Amino acid sequence: MSESNVNNSTKSGQVPNLPLWAGVAIAVLAAGAIFLLGLLAVSIMERRWESQRPVMVLKPVADYEPDSANWGVNYPRQYDSYLKNRVSDTNTKFGGASHRDYLETDPRKVILWTGSAFSKDYLQARGHYYAIEDVTNSKRVSVPFQAATCWTCKGTDVPRMMAKMGVKEFYAGNFHDLKNEMTHPVGCRDCHDPQTMKLQITRPALREAFAVMGADINSVTHQQMRSLVCAQCHSEYYFRTDESAGMKNYLVFPWKNGTGAEAILSYYNDINFTDFVNPISKTPMIKVQHPDYETYLTGIHAYRDVSCADCHMPYRTEGGSKFTDHHVQSPLLNISASCAVCHRWSEDEMRVRVEAIQTKMQDSLIAAEDALVEAHFDIAAASQAGVSDNDLSQPRRLLRDAQFYWDYISSSNGMGFHSPTESMRITGLSIDLAQQARVLMARLLAEKGVSKQPAYPDISSRQNASQVSQQFTEGRQTKLLP
Amino acid sequence: MKVLNLARMVVSLRGLPKKWQITIYLLAGLAAGLALFISRISNAASYLSESPQTCMNCHVMTDAYASWQRGSHGRVTVCNDCHVPHTNPVAKYAFKASDGLKHSYVFTFRLEPQALDLSKGAKPVVQDNCVRCHSQVLEMIRLSDSSQRKCWDCHNNIHGPIHGISSSPAELRPELPNAGLGINGKGDN
Repeated sequence: MSESNVNNSTKSGQVPNLPLWAGVAIAVLAAGAIFLLGLLAVSIMERRWESQRPVMVLKPVADYEPDSANWGVNYPRQYDSYLKNRVSDTNTKFGGASHRDYLETDPRKVILWTGSAFSKDYLQARGHYYAIEDVTNSKRVSVPFQAATCWTCKGTDVPRMMAKMGVKEFYAGNFHDLKNEMTHPVGCRDCHDPQTMKLQITRPALREAFAVMGADINSVTHQQMRSLVCAQCHSEYYFRTDESAGMKNYLVFPWKNGTGAEAILSYYNDINFTDFVNPISKTPMIKVQHPDYETYLTGIHAYRDVSCADCHMPYRTEGGSKFTDHHVQSPLLNISASCAVCHRWSEDEMRVRVEAIQTKMQDSLIAAEDALVEAHFDIAAASQAGVSDNDLSQPRRLLRDAQFYWDYISSSNGMGFHSPTESMRITGLSIDLAQQARVLMARLLAEKGVSKQPAYPDISSRQNASQVSQQFTEGRQTKLLP
Repeated sequence: MKVLNLARMVVSLRGLPKKWQITIYLLAGLAAGLALFISRISNAASYLSESPQTCMNCHVMTDAYASWQRGSHGRVTVCNDCHVPHTNPVAKYAFKASDGLKHSYVFTFRLEPQALDLSKGAKPVVQDNCVRCHSQVLEMIRLSDSSQRKCWDCHNNIHGPIHGISSSPAELRPELPNAGLGINGKGDN
């Protein structure tokens, strides 16, 4: 019966029969279409869902929870981007997240920091993720004792241990005794409240510095907090030891007179603070430590209320949800999401402009270094020529201030970009003071009958510079007089 | 005639066993249903309209929407006034379709950049539309027919000074229209 039907229609010649394989093909195609449509439907629904339910707390975070992974359960996007801080091979022209060796690239620093551990080991910092590992491996940490204060900015175990031990007791301890407690690098707990996720200040030094300045850190805006949580660590500091106040190696921000470079220097000079004595010129020096926040405050971005996070942790949109990128990095590695949001030029143009500013900054810093290095040797030469310490006190004072201003910019991240004109001005101050010292030295040497330039030792490589540094440290100084 | 026959052959599934015919029709029905469902949740019909709400059906344009709505152009124009050509209806819908396909591809595969910029094809369209309305103002300006400069080289504030697709806080984002059945109802958080 069916056979005859088939034959009939074939004979009529109008609509031929489909072969069986065509049926299979059509069915497979239809199934494939349904599969793809299903994917599309799910994608659309997921996107709608994202925009309506941005956060779901699956597991409340315990107080003082140091492990960022346990926070990440609730905030997967933030945590995923945080894990990218493991990247440690990125390089911009002057920065990045790799272990660039500053002493290899610029041996002048070995001379300038002779007498301090920085002349032995000074690497570009890697990302937050490596804070614990890198401080543990640093040759600047001395054995058997190093102030426990050095842990303060290294990880999320610090707030917990400070609460447990007391702040003064924490600082007064030995770095090596706390090694077993410090296992989690800089992470969620350093900036966030575990219950509300609001930004919070977890380090006492910034809180205390605001109090000393008469400012209220509790009445700042959220936008300011997006910089202040960074300022907890990215600021200039020193360790204060004051037995009458029961303080040993207590972390203090020198902001009593203000946060400008001159204000900070005047504070240090008022209390006669010395980090190390450079044995070449026997000058009591200050080692500046990354005044990033203070420098930023003087720049155009701070004036426009653009926060640290706006450039270093820009907002991202993925699908329907907006979140903060927790991969903290140089904006030059993420120009499109960071700079281009406000500055409508191509990535290449932005990079060229930033690098041009930074290159000019570096040129000035190197000019300052050359003047500073020669000032150190000039004073050493004068000392060899028999100039009295009394006569050398004024040039030493000038050199101390000059090197402070140079270091203030040199040790800041960003190669001056956080505030280009102010950074240039301060470097100019440094060069001026260093040359003033050298003018005085020329006169003092002339009085001793030396009219020729001292024989400056060769410091063109790190090895040579280290050798000179070593000789002066051990008191076997080379003869500098011509 | 041949093509018509071929179509009839495929649609009628003539010659296939009954089971196959039923299966294939079932699958085709499913696909059609799913397509209808997608057009509902993606608000597909709205793409034929002029409503600016349409442009933020996907979440990339919400900031453009918010900045347009609060800016001076929010009172007199809609997205299409500037962003599609108005030379003739064919050009308009062709542009809209090709733009839309590109956008849905980019958004589905999560390729959207964090700061949006006009594409190469969009620039002359927007420029023409600036001139279309502002021609009287431009009569005295020699640059008005310059191909080098665009209006927004100077007037770069039309969508506000910030251009990131996440530049407005999430709470300020316009809500999506309800997709039906309340499964994705708005305001349920």
